[in-house]
Amino acid sequence: MTMQTTTNLFQRFQQRLEAAGGEAHYAESLVEAADILAAHPALVQREIVVPPAFEARQPWGAILPMLAERGIAISEAGDPASVADFPAGLSSAELAIAETGSILLAENALPARIVSMLTLTHFALAQAGTLYPMLEEAGSALQRLTAPGPDQRHYISLVTGPSRTADIERTLTIGVQGPRALCVIIVE
Amino acid sequence: MSTELTPLTPPREAQVENANPTNEEQPFDVRLEHALSDQHMHAALERFAPSWRDSRAGVFSYEEQEYGPDYSFQHMRSTLRQAKDYATEHQPELVARFKEMARAAGAIVFEARTAEEANRYIYDLCQRKGIDLVVKSKTMVSEETELNHYLEARQIRAVETDLGEWVAQLAHERPSHMVMPIIHKTRQQVGALLSEATGREISREDVAEQVAVIRVEHRKSFLNAGMGISGANALIAESGTVMMMTNEGNGRLVTSLPPVHVVMAGYDKLIGTFAETMTQLRLLARSATAQHITSYTTFITGPAIPGHEMHIVLVDNGRSEMRADPRFKDALRCIRCAACANICPPYAQVGGHAFGYIYSGAIGLVVTPFHHGIEAGAGPQSLCVSCNACETVCPVEIPLPGLILDVRSRVVEAKGLHWIKKLVFGAMARPRLFNVATRLISIAQFPVTRGSNFIRARNFGILGKLPLPYIRPMVKLASWHSLPAFASRPLRDRVKRQLERYERRDAIDRVLPDRVPANATSRLTVCYFAGCMTDRLYPEMGQAVIHVLQTCGVRVTFPLGQNCCGLPALNSGDRRDGAAMARQTIIMLEQALKESEADYILSASTSCVATIAQDYTRLFEDLDEQGWLRRARELAGKVVDFTSFLERMLAEGVQLPVRQENGEATIVTTYHDSCQSCNCLGLRKEARSIIRDALGLELREMPQADVCCGFGGSTSIEHGDVAERLLHNKLRNAESTGATILVADNPGCLMHMRGGVDVNGKKLRVLHLAQLVAERLE
Repeated sequence: MTMQTTTNLFQRFQQRLEAAGGEAHYAESLVEAADILAAHPALVQREIVVPPAFEARQPWGAILPMLAERGIAISEAGDPASVADFPAGLSSAELAIAETGSILLAENALPARIVSMLTLTHFALAQAGTLYPMLEEAGSALQRLTAPGPDQRHYISLVTGPSRTADIERTLTIGVQGPRALCVIIVE
Repeated sequence: MSTELTPLTPPREAQVENANPTNEEQPFDVRLEHALSDQHMHAALERFAPSWRDSRAGVFSYEEQEYGPDYSFQHMRSTLRQAKDYATEHQPELVARFKEMARAAGAIVFEARTAEEANRYIYDLCQRKGIDLVVKSKTMVSEETELNHYLEARQIRAVETDLGEWVAQLAHERPSHMVMPIIHKTRQQVGALLSEATGREISREDVAEQVAVIRVEHRKSFLNAGMGISGANALIAESGTVMMMTNEGNGRLVTSLPPVHVVMAGYDKLIGTFAETMTQLRLLARSATAQHITSYTTFITGPAIPGHEMHIVLVDNGRSEMRADPRFKDALRCIRCAACANICPPYAQVGGHAFGYIYSGAIGLVVTPFHHGIEAGAGPQSLCVSCNACETVCPVEIPLPGLILDVRSRVVEAKGLHWIKKLVFGAMARPRLFNVATRLISIAQFPVTRGSNFIRARNFGILGKLPLPYIRPMVKLASWHSLPAFASRPLRDRVKRQLERYERRDAIDRVLPDRVPANATSRLTVCYFAGCMTDRLYPEMGQAVIHVLQTCGVRVTFPLGQNCCGLPALNSGDRRDGAAMARQTIIMLEQALKESEADYILSASTSCVATIAQDYTRLFEDLDEQGWLRRARELAGKVVDFTSFLERMLAEGVQLPVRQENGEATIVTTYHDSCQSCNCLGLRKEARSIIRDALGLELREMPQADVCCGFGGSTSIEHGDVAERLLHNKLRNAESTGATILVADNPGCLMHMRGGVDVNGKKLRVLHLAQLVAERLE
């Protein structure tokens, strides 16, 4: 993918995600991603929760020491009660879709899943190479990820912005049961 | 455990709920009366409808602009329709594939024939696991099977975790809308309910504070519940995957935290592939809430966690019967977006507790007889005004208006026709009797018309105040819109003389030859079908039509054998009389075409055009009368409406001799899109172009120009309260433009709107487009 199309795609992704109440950043490197995280207001308490064994996750594990260097305390997600309303959580996405500003999360383990369900601000990392223009690509990925076998992903979510409701008098309110903020960092 | 359960007395909760005037246990009339008196709900729905229409149109046009015609609403809905039809047709294969893949992924699939079987399976599962607390995310099927009652009657608590559903549960009510369950509630009502439920004071005004309550209140339920029950937006056969779309985030918690996850879904949720599912999720979010996509779209393929269980309960409950019906199988395409409710004019007046049973909106009227019996569907279906708006926004092209009329016919078959309708349609189906009757009425009506064009409530005097049958209901109707008087000389009498005069002058070839271009259109002959309303009530409209056509150099013939096309009977579910009138009309038109060698059958009533050109074929398909079907199809190709015919003539170069304004003040007009014109015939630009470009008049668009005026055939008589509100909206919108002339091209709307203008003394002239054109001719 050329630089130009990546930039265009990212712009569209950002525009759509912002329209859905989310936040998108572009980082040239993991270091830059760590800088964005460390400077984010949601990390004012200098702590973040991550899925178990995140340090071994390619290529994202390397960001943990960088965050630690920047004074961020990292906790590993455990039972739901301990993750509930944690100020910030960090996980990684399989891919991102510019058309809708969505990320695709595919985690089997409950502790990894609840990082994106129960924290107050959810940060997600996605590789620029997995940012696709249209939902059709998500359809293909779903087909691949749900294929039977030891690597089958049982629980996949397309996440687009924070949790929201307009049930009461159609007043849009952000943050119901899920996170109140979603911040996606697309890393080159 | 025992398989036979002795029925338990419903707990207090259920009793309270059943006594609620919004509950389906209450008779339809009670629900309707309550709905009509609920001003908060009415105001909320009236605010919502136009804003939804705008945002929905915006999101679809944005996508089309950005990504091209493949992503247009029309293209996507045709794609999804095909995918859903394939799934219905190949249901056994898809079910087999879905089950195989879901089971391979570790899920347990149970097929429930009835609501009872589905509920029982879930209850048994709770028993087996010792579960007494269940958390639920939104599932319409569980409303359909009344699962909550079933469980609660057996001492199992079921907590709704979707905000709106929970508030409805606290109020002992059912959701009134499939997507926005508590659209009928105000923030003050929500605050009061939450305060009562939590035992602490919750703001009556601050929605954010109210929303925050649910996060705290439900956290414990999520962590303690033994079972989570969710619905499904799609069951993807190729992988055995359940798709679920939510915004609040409760759905993911319900399906992740409790050790047992139960999915309840109808067989209609099956779809073949992920690729097709992507089209569905686009259409669903955009149609439902005008979002590009919902916040969370979750795909679950078997339990993800060792020790957790996933059960999928496939519910039939009447769906097989739908699938076996050549018409109603189309309703299985539904993806439950509620667009048909959002666009529906009567829905906006009464909400989903009356306009529906458990499923609301147009689709609710269609599926209720299959899930809950014809009796349950009888009342709600009577509210449909047959405006056809629902069909224009359905993301899977379900022919909802036709299916609602099918339900109506079944109701009439089961319960009989109202005696007044029986009398009237019976008379209309006998042309000679109808002719004599209308002429007699045109004389007998004098005391209440006093020579005017209206039957006015005040003219009934003391008679109107007495509790007399027939009279009292008529006075009530006339009190909010004056009723039309029968013309002393119907169009057929007037036209005889008019046509004879033209014939004598050999007008056909000599009318304004300089303005008639020398091409074929200038020699067109049309057979004019006026429709009974124009003939009997508004002959001057018919005369205007003939005048305008002749001015354009068109030869006009008027078959004197014409009678009613059958629309009023067909729209009331009276197929017997309706079909009789259809056959008469076909014979009469065939003969007229042959005798006059006319190129077209033209009508200036778009309702009649839609009936003859569209409804006849469907009627004879249903009656399986192949001979009539063939004749109806042939005739359909010959039928045109006045508006598009005139517009085409003008586009082809015919010049109208329009009078120049000499110092008159500019005439300001506004245009009402009749439902049959815009929704059935797809006319929008034609009349506007005639008014603006050909007549050179100012046309100011009124808000919601294409929303039903409330006439809706006999619905305005049966549900006067609803029709009155719609009429009030229409006239208010028309007046807001400052126009002095309100134009439409369908006599039914004109009658309804004229009646309203007469009662309210508004300064609006309500004219047929042909009358406006005729007035402006030199």
